[in-house]
Amino acid sequence: MTSHKVVSHASSIFDPTLLSRCISCGFCLPACPTYALTGDEASSPRGRITLMRALESGTLPADDPTLAEQASFCLGCRACEPVCPAGVQYGELLEQWRDFQWTGRRRPLAVRFLIFAAERAWAHRIAGRLRRAAHTPAGESQHSLMLGCFERSLFPGVSRSALALAPELAVPSNQGCCGALHAHNGEPGRGRQLAEELGAQLPGQIVTTSGGCAAHLSSVIGRDRVSELSEYMLHRVTGQVRIGDRRARVALQDSCHLRNGLDVWREPRALLSTVAEYVELPSAARCCGAAGTYALVRPRDSRRVLDPKIDEIEAAGIDYVVAVNPGCLRQLRQGLRRRKSAVRALHIADILRLAAD
Amino acid sequence: MYARDATPLFRGTPDAVIAPADAEQVARILRLATDHGIPVIPRGAGSNLCAGTVPLAGGIVLSTARMNSILEVAPEEMLARAEPGVSTMALNDAAAADGLFYPPDPGSRTVSTIGGNVATCAGGLRGLKYGVTRNYVLGLTVVLPTGEIVRTGGRLWKDVAGYDLTRLITGSEGTLGVITEVTVALLPDPSASRTGLAYFDSLTQAGRAVSGILAAGVIPSTLEFLDRSCMDAVEQYAHLGLHANAGALLLFGDDGDEAAVARNFERITAVCEDSGAIGVQTAGDVTESEALLTARRCTLPALSRLGSLTILEDASVPRPRLAEMVARIDAITARHGVTMATFGHAGDGNLHPTCVLESAEDTEGIARAERAFAEVFRTAIELGGTITGEHGVGAAKLPYLEQRLGKAQMDLIRRIKRTFDPAGILNPGKLGS
Repeated sequence: MTSHKVVSHASSIFDPTLLSRCISCGFCLPACPTYALTGDEASSPRGRITLMRALESGTLPADDPTLAEQASFCLGCRACEPVCPAGVQYGELLEQWRDFQWTGRRRPLAVRFLIFAAERAWAHRIAGRLRRAAHTPAGESQHSLMLGCFERSLFPGVSRSALALAPELAVPSNQGCCGALHAHNGEPGRGRQLAEELGAQLPGQIVTTSGGCAAHLSSVIGRDRVSELSEYMLHRVTGQVRIGDRRARVALQDSCHLRNGLDVWREPRALLSTVAEYVELPSAARCCGAAGTYALVRPRDSRRVLDPKIDEIEAAGIDYVVAVNPGCLRQLRQGLRRRKSAVRALHIADILRLAAD
Repeated sequence: MYARDATPLFRGTPDAVIAPADAEQVARILRLATDHGIPVIPRGAGSNLCAGTVPLAGGIVLSTARMNSILEVAPEEMLARAEPGVSTMALNDAAAADGLFYPPDPGSRTVSTIGGNVATCAGGLRGLKYGVTRNYVLGLTVVLPTGEIVRTGGRLWKDVAGYDLTRLITGSEGTLGVITEVTVALLPDPSASRTGLAYFDSLTQAGRAVSGILAAGVIPSTLEFLDRSCMDAVEQYAHLGLHANAGALLLFGDDGDEAAVARNFERITAVCEDSGAIGVQTAGDVTESEALLTARRCTLPALSRLGSLTILEDASVPRPRLAEMVARIDAITARHGVTMATFGHAGDGNLHPTCVLESAEDTEGIARAERAFAEVFRTAIELGGTITGEHGVGAAKLPYLEQRLGKAQMDLIRRIKRTFDPAGILNPGKLGS
């Protein structure tokens, strides 16, 4: 995992075509969670693009503290993309920015640790087996289930549920990381390489239980090879989730990259409406603050983003809040636990399995 | 970060950015600024298109981001009171909870603030039927550059006590005072709405249809047009299946009581057909309406994707001269070797000729576009129109303002400005400078 960069050469950090797209109209402001926290242009997508331009042109020195702060304060949720009239690919720009900003020792410690861990494929294999994450012997399967590198140890039940729902999938346990973690944290080159390797390793359609991985993987190996679980399961769920003699009330927390990157948000809602009484949270489409490594790198800001959402969940009178990404699941569980809430957070694979049983 | 707004090519670096919490704090800042001769530039969301919030002379950018509460919605009086940083959309949503709506709907309403709307007298798609911001502002709290806090107007529809300072401040673009509270009138939310579109061989025919519709006694809530270049851009971007050879597209819509909307639609359709429409489509339900509206809504995004620099202009002419104006624009752009696509509000004669350049660094192309636009403004005035219908003067149109107003009015504006702002600290380089 080396990244070769000439730091002094400040004029080739960004793809100029992508950077020039922004027309500064400000339509992104109301969509941005960090702008909502501060009301400061610098922490809005338009402001950050102005910062990127200042970095690119040399107007601001590379070690400017505002640059470092804003590159890290951004959740990378890409909520600014669907509302952008000019079609700015902000997610790409942020990756390029962090590639520069987080070179070597300037990368946050938590990120360095996670990337180090993600690179140890053998450890995930062993941990996955120990934690009894799903796996199947290599067989004739046409399509495959991707095992998230951290999901395997943190939420091994998710892949078991997914396999129970779609037993036709192959689940080799020696698969590596998809590289989303790298791409979002300053190593886009390595991120692409890992995605390509995984694409070569897994057969057919790759089904994933993580919205973040789905978005990254499809950006590298092509949209047609990747299905997020709710896309894959659409029209093939059965059963009901009941609490006593009534249908369970459930809400969804979108995965930002799944929604903003891949435009997948109708599918999980359709599935949940089939198996339970679906309740739309007012902020369902807004980031929960997990944002990949964000909850570890900036725990305080992550909580500030999460707190109003937990208020909403508490007020909604629901039994379950459902996530389509392991990071969001972890974040919601922690938030609910802190509040001693009676609402439970589940992965969509788990609730669909609950309905089917 | 606060060096620019949504206007291309204008920038200026502020020395400080302050986001005060209330009128008292604003007053303290302004007194200090007046004493020391520091420029103050009030700013809402910075989504304006006239460089109205660019700090040309440095100084303090005064952001209304923290003054963002809706203070009340009073259904029995049909009004709302809000701080200036509230977004237009949020205000409308609050009104909707009481079955009311706030009619002005500038294209940027999801982001623009009500304070900014008042400061620029923002327009929108519904201008023909419902008017613009000024028609809804009942009262304002304004902090003068010298620190006094005044309340103009109030909660009344009828109130002629004194000069109409509310209207003077509305559209003053942050040059006379800082708005810290706004009282706006609301209307009952219409129960039904519908959209349709018609294709014509030429804009002249579309223009005839517009006159015909109004002559038939119908005032549609939406009456928008796209020229051929816009249709091409939209089609390339959104693949809506728009007519392949029509010279103009007219989008119409109405809202109100269901039976009345249906009746108006029959009349509009008949007039379009009589005026030589080569196709008329009307939406059956909300989803279809939305699909038709997409053509208009995505015009600017579609155009902006054609290049890196999009200059959107805002000339306005008397309604019957719309087609003539578009023809003149085409001739002007051909002469100057620039590409422009024109769309806009056919109902109120407000056009948005839009020039898209490949590169933001193309200084030669920018110069050509600017020469072409100067001629567009001249032509608009010649046809009895104006240099800006709804975007504002700001720094962008100031050089053309005297052509429109004449010397006597320019002098009067400067005298008014000096009365409000003797030290000349508020938004220098804009109106009144």
